[in-house]
Amino acid sequence: MACQIKENEIKEKVIEICSEFKNDPNDLIAILHKAQNHFGFLPKEVQAAIAEVLNISSAKVYGVVTFYSYFTMEPRGKHPISICMGTACYVKGAEKVLKEFESKLEIKNGQTTPDGKFSMNTLRCIGACGLAPVIMIGEKVYGGVKQEDVSKIIKEYE
Amino acid sequence: MKSKQIKIALRNCGHIDPEDIADYMSKDGYAALGKCLIGSREGVVETMKKSGLRGRGGGGFPTGKKWELAAAVPGEKKYVICNADEGDPGAFMDRSVLEGDPHSVLEAMAICGYAIGADEGYIYIRAEYPLAIKRLKIAMAQAREAGLLGKNILGTGFNFDIGLKYGAGAFVCGEETALIKSMEGNRGEPVMKPPYPAQKGYMGKPTNVNNVETFANIPAIINNGADWFASIGTEGSKGTKVFALAGKVKNVGLVEVPMGTTLRELIYEIGGGILNGKKFKAAQTGGPSGGCLTEKHLDTPIDYESLKQAGSMMGSGGLIVMDEDDCMVAVAQFYLDFTVEESCGKCVPCREGNKVLYQLLNKITHGKGELEDLKKLKDFSEVIKSASLCGLGQTSPNPVLSTLDNFYDEYYEHVTEKKCRSKHCRALIKYIIIPEKCVGCGACKRACPAEAISGEVKKTHLIDQEKCIKCGACYQKCKFNSIIIE
Amino acid sequence: MKAIKSIDDLKTLTDEIKVKSIGDKKKVQICIAMATCSIASGSGKVLEFFKEEMPKQPFEFMIRSTGCLGLCHSEPTVEVTLPDSDPVVFGSVDVKMARSIIDDFIKSGKTIDGVIEGN
Repeated sequence: MACQIKENEIKEKVIEICSEFKNDPNDLIAILHKAQNHFGFLPKEVQAAIAEVLNISSAKVYGVVTFYSYFTMEPRGKHPISICMGTACYVKGAEKVLKEFESKLEIKNGQTTPDGKFSMNTLRCIGACGLAPVIMIGEKVYGGVKQEDVSKIIKEYE
Repeated sequence: MKSKQIKIALRNCGHIDPEDIADYMSKDGYAALGKCLIGSREGVVETMKKSGLRGRGGGGFPTGKKWELAAAVPGEKKYVICNADEGDPGAFMDRSVLEGDPHSVLEAMAICGYAIGADEGYIYIRAEYPLAIKRLKIAMAQAREAGLLGKNILGTGFNFDIGLKYGAGAFVCGEETALIKSMEGNRGEPVMKPPYPAQKGYMGKPTNVNNVETFANIPAIINNGADWFASIGTEGSKGTKVFALAGKVKNVGLVEVPMGTTLRELIYEIGGGILNGKKFKAAQTGGPSGGCLTEKHLDTPIDYESLKQAGSMMGSGGLIVMDEDDCMVAVAQFYLDFTVEESCGKCVPCREGNKVLYQLLNKITHGKGELEDLKKLKDFSEVIKSASLCGLGQTSPNPVLSTLDNFYDEYYEHVTEKKCRSKHCRALIKYIIIPEKCVGCGACKRACPAEAISGEVKKTHLIDQEKCIKCGACYQKCKFNSIIIE
Repeated sequence: MKAIKSIDDLKTLTDEIKVKSIGDKKKVQICIAMATCSIASGSGKVLEFFKEEMPKQPFEFMIRSTGCLGLCHSEPTVEVTLPDSDPVVFGSVDVKMARSIIDDFIKSGKTIDGVIEGN
């Protein structure tokens, strides 16, 4: 997706973030986390800026961004929905919850609604297996989620 | 959960405020560090060896031996790493320790640093644990303020400080060489061993990597003595193990039991038995690297060796209980789906081989499997196990081999009779309306998204099997129990 | 906490802390689990309730937010230790039950539902 953020804004912020880590390429992952928290995603413009400031190749940054599932090159929704598909949640019916979200929001896993409100992705285990099936919206954890609960949960954010 | 438990790693969880160092000290927090700093580094290593503690992350390597190897490598600069990447789906032992007793890990890392001659440590923690990260940061700041981390700890001249490094959602980074690569800002691709991290690890320096639960045991071992720890457990597996009981069991949660506790005690006595009165079918241990234990294993004392003999492994402690409604072929497919996604892609056997396994399982659960596919599953599994570069690939076929071994009948039925006895695999089930029970209310017809149900009001309805997409909406809607799954 | 300069100082400080915690045993101690599962199950509201209500009571108390006891099946959990008694763990605690814990269990000494045995 084309990046809407201005180039100089990107450069300024990236310089600020990288300097927190003394421009150390070993801290690339922590830098990418901070950059994604700020910009919402990691488009190629942000990646190129990071590569330049850290004096490493863009290919290296791209390779790291695409390796780790936490990082995204597509903007997330205002309310990112993460559905846990770990084993405990799977045996308790997480697939049905996923299908219900897909049906109600009319998007597939990995996509964002056209109005930018919600995006969906799956996670492999938040570690709250006692509450399976579990979803997260932003940092809020919902436990024991059933198909019937999905509409009510979506309404909380409307 | 019932009192067959002995809490060592979890001794403080639920009893102290994790954000108050004084609370930790009221339970002898940092006394073990003080004790170690009075004695010799070699003495600390000997205590660890004598205790019999083995790595709790899954590998089960003797901790004392690991420290001895790192201590013996010459070098001014060494590192201690805590593996808090807990990527096994269904495992949350480490999260509980970090959220409930973070100081125990900091203290243990400092003890390790003293023993092996390191002055710097890192906790590599997965980004999916924001509360654990927050509590660790608070604990680290408090420990520094109290002079228990940093320079000249307790006036002994010993320096040790700890930093945090974050994961970003890659299961393979639980493997120690991949973890180290990730800490250095790279893709988490494992490397050949030897050299082991003890010889050449983080930044090319001697590095000791241990899991959170392993570390959590250490202050208690130092304070109570190696003999005390070694008196608990079995001959080859000393101490306790924390298990995360999840799935179809009544009392879902964390339990810590002596090694040698049986599966029956875990599931029925502590776990309260199977939910909804269903029949126990299997318990998966070791996550995607493990296998399943069945009814015949219920009285097996659980330790490292017995689980290996049963075709599974201890893993990090996730124990997923399954019942008669779980299809074991689908479970194997679920694990391979995970493995295919999480494979780093570096070596062909894992990258390509696991895809083949997944495709075969997918074929079988969709009713297109053939008998020869079962042989292919076994053959490919064995090649992948023996030829993969790292632990992920070397263990990824375990769920397949274990379910094939223990549930061959189910696989056989899937391919020869196109039948799923657990009624889970959509392609192999049918929704059928029982004419005698149908009252013709039409609720199922209205619910059906595929317009596959026909019938007039107050007359028996019928599902057109050609149109039916097996979503189960009609089954959910029917208030008269007149729809069955066959 | 001030920097501890020696191992002897550590021992002295630890002893002081332990003496204080013996004194704390004369108070009603309330531990509320605040791990990820606990918070997702609503333990935040329970903690707020106890923080508001306990200062109004006619006895000394201590409230602690802790990690979890591993009782995921019964979150939110609250452990109550009355002076000179063994701890009692309550499961699936909501604000209504928290009120009953204060009025019935602590103040009136009654047995109430929701106790998790064997901890």
